[in-house]
Amino acid sequence: MNAAHLLKRLLGTLPLLLGVSLLLFGVLHLAPGGPLDVYADNPSVSPEALAQMRVAFGLDQPLPVQYVSWVTAFFTGEWGYSIRTARPVSQEILERLGPTLILGGTSFVLSLLIALPLGIVSAVRRYSGVDYLITFLSFLGVSMPVFWLALMLQLLFAVQWRVLPSAGIQTIGSDSVLDLMHHLILPAFILAFASVAGWSRYMRSSMVEVLGQDYVRTARAKGLTAGKVVYRHALRNALIPIITVVALDFATILSGAVITETIFAWPGIGRLFIESMNGRDYPVLMALMMASSFALVISNLLADLAYAAVDPRIRYE
Amino acid sequence: MAWNSRLAHSVSRNALRAAGAAFILLGGMATAQQRGGTLTVGLGYDIDTLNVYSTGFLGDVQAAVVEGLVAPDAKANYVPVLATQVPSVRNGGIKVAADGKTMTVTYRLRPGVKWSDGQPLTSADVKFTWEAVKNPKFIAESKDGTEDIASIETPNATTVVVNYKRVAPDFMSTLFTFGILPKHTLEGKDLNTDSYNEKPLGTGPFRVKEFRRGQYVILERNPFYWRKDSKGVQLPYLDGMIFKIIPDSNTLVTQLRTGEVQLAYSIPYSQVKQIDGVPGLRIVKNNVLSWQHLDFNLKTVDAFKDPNVRKAFAYAINKTAVSKALGGYPTPINSVVVPVFSYANAAVPRYDYNLARARQLLDAAGWKPGPDGIRVKDGKRMSFKIMAQAGRSTDEDAQQVIIASLKQAGIELQPDNKSGVAFRDARYKGNYDLFYGGWITSADPTYSVFFGSKGVNNGQGYSNPRIDTLLTRAESTLDPAQRTAALREFQSALMADLPSIPITTNPSMIAVTEKLGGFVPNPTNMTNFVNTSGWYLK
Repeated sequence: MNAAHLLKRLLGTLPLLLGVSLLLFGVLHLAPGGPLDVYADNPSVSPEALAQMRVAFGLDQPLPVQYVSWVTAFFTGEWGYSIRTARPVSQEILERLGPTLILGGTSFVLSLLIALPLGIVSAVRRYSGVDYLITFLSFLGVSMPVFWLALMLQLLFAVQWRVLPSAGIQTIGSDSVLDLMHHLILPAFILAFASVAGWSRYMRSSMVEVLGQDYVRTARAKGLTAGKVVYRHALRNALIPIITVVALDFATILSGAVITETIFAWPGIGRLFIESMNGRDYPVLMALMMASSFALVISNLLADLAYAAVDPRIRYE
Repeated sequence: MAWNSRLAHSVSRNALRAAGAAFILLGGMATAQQRGGTLTVGLGYDIDTLNVYSTGFLGDVQAAVVEGLVAPDAKANYVPVLATQVPSVRNGGIKVAADGKTMTVTYRLRPGVKWSDGQPLTSADVKFTWEAVKNPKFIAESKDGTEDIASIETPNATTVVVNYKRVAPDFMSTLFTFGILPKHTLEGKDLNTDSYNEKPLGTGPFRVKEFRRGQYVILERNPFYWRKDSKGVQLPYLDGMIFKIIPDSNTLVTQLRTGEVQLAYSIPYSQVKQIDGVPGLRIVKNNVLSWQHLDFNLKTVDAFKDPNVRKAFAYAINKTAVSKALGGYPTPINSVVVPVFSYANAAVPRYDYNLARARQLLDAAGWKPGPDGIRVKDGKRMSFKIMAQAGRSTDEDAQQVIIASLKQAGIELQPDNKSGVAFRDARYKGNYDLFYGGWITSADPTYSVFFGSKGVNNGQGYSNPRIDTLLTRAESTLDPAQRTAALREFQSALMADLPSIPITTNPSMIAVTEKLGGFVPNPTNMTNFVNTSGWYLK
């Protein structure tokens, strides 16, 4: 893929994102409730105070007007202010991005490192004891609720054995990397667990299919070692479907892991999203969802690049 | 500071008895408090801003940092903080104009009080607080009371004279009680975006050292704090406090068990027993100023217009069973005024669980049992929809018990639960047959918003001229004796008419380390942290 093509692809995402923004804005405002609802439980907030706030936030304007003023501001880099905290939206998101990338990135790498070898082993030794064990564990991983596993591990490692902290991103007052890693172990493992289970299944079935192909038989017939057959000839072709799956999951890293972040009091994007959703904090919500959409578009692009890298037959003109 | 689901602070019977002790403690009568130590508190919500006037939550952290002129104590009575006394007609702090239409409130500030940056607190700060909160450019929900004030005079540095446009007996419930803002750092600033919202400057026992969003707030001792104990020891005893943000209640309980958190409130009833067994922790029951009630829609449901039908409902509901379903922690109540208040009336008409009486009343009202056991009158089945807030599990559990209770009397209820805006809309407009829910009030409740003919929260369409007269009398007098008399009479009249059945008052359960001394829960919206200076770690 050359630079011109890349540029063309990137420009092509603009109308797509614009359409997505219209859709998101519409859906968000279709959901019942508004940013001022947090005050509605309070018998002492007067209707006048609410009306004043509505005007101050521009919520009294008709929806199309709100959309146009939001969309023009957004695409010129002005993301506005959070209704909940009155701070710039970009600052809110940037603060939460770091922890989310650390957690999501770690678990992503961890998942890849575990899932691919497991899938390959499972495929190569199809119907063996190892295969059945891995299959069993995968199904366990897919079907086990994240929150349950998290609570169990907290109970074991934090309450019973007291070897790991139960929640948080760091010991208060400490900024050491070691401390961060200590806090990272449980949430990263739990987040990786489900991905490993899913990805290793994909890897296995894709590998099984490729191993049955004629060219693999040919490779074997011409006397290549088993390792070379599997890793040089079969693996590269088997990777294509995996890239698709992994790329889709890669995009979700940026949207944060809502459940894991909540259980482990991890100050990431997922929690920001939930809090903003509960408070109907439209500016933050729109920015977060746009960022997730953008991440999805970008990871699709990356996936396309990766296809070409693993399979020279794929070219983009 | 908002009333929302987070609020839940109160006092157990024992704690009530100990309430006097709380303030004695400040006087230093309890034994051997040591200075030092840091207390870690778990908060179940993500702090939006540390500005008390614009936060959507109750200001737990803020209460340890910012002080008002007065504050409610454990019995919801106002006690002086930055003012030297609570203004009243008797002590000359409140003067009503000759025409009886306006009033003047005079505060004398405590001399020698300093902000935590060392600057002196003066009357100009109080005036500035009013101006800043009132400013229409400041987007905040807690602006209550700012419009009642015509002007403020500051004849000298420690005297504040507030001229009110009306006689406002509830003048202490928000402004100046929530907190005083520092003029010297905030004048001319935009309060919506100022760094005050991250690091508020107050006169309280602690000051903010670090606030990491989504994670924690570290408070350190305010070296300029004005309170001393009776031995002359500079308060607070604690070196600092840490508020950790832990949104998941299971994790919060886990952190209590591991000792990573030493105090947390609003523990779910289902998890109280778990914590009770943990060595080193104790459970404190805080009877918050809230009551659970079953409201009849008097606008649209003809059957409820008969007071005897309403009474039959009350006799048929087993309040003890409701409490049991919630772990036994809620206390059944007979009046809409919770027992913490001094003017709560214990002599109101009672409707103790009595199924036979309920059946008798319904029979007499013409509702006879039909073929399926459900009562019928003029061809109409006694079947109604009962609304509760969807997702609030304690309310939904109680609702189930109420449904089962009334089934015994031949009344069919079908749950029609709503959430969010739909719920509030229905509540305000009365789009329900029956509504089960809770109201929470400040230390100075205005009952006319619930039961007055024009009350904003009177969605059920209740109107009784006698109740209106009594509430107007209670809410326009500055004489405590008259107010108490009017409110007591109001309760009797209301319970005789019974537009709403009070069910239980639901406490907030606090888990706290046994090492913490001087801790007394506070039932008001000023939170448990309204006076932390006397807390100490053993």
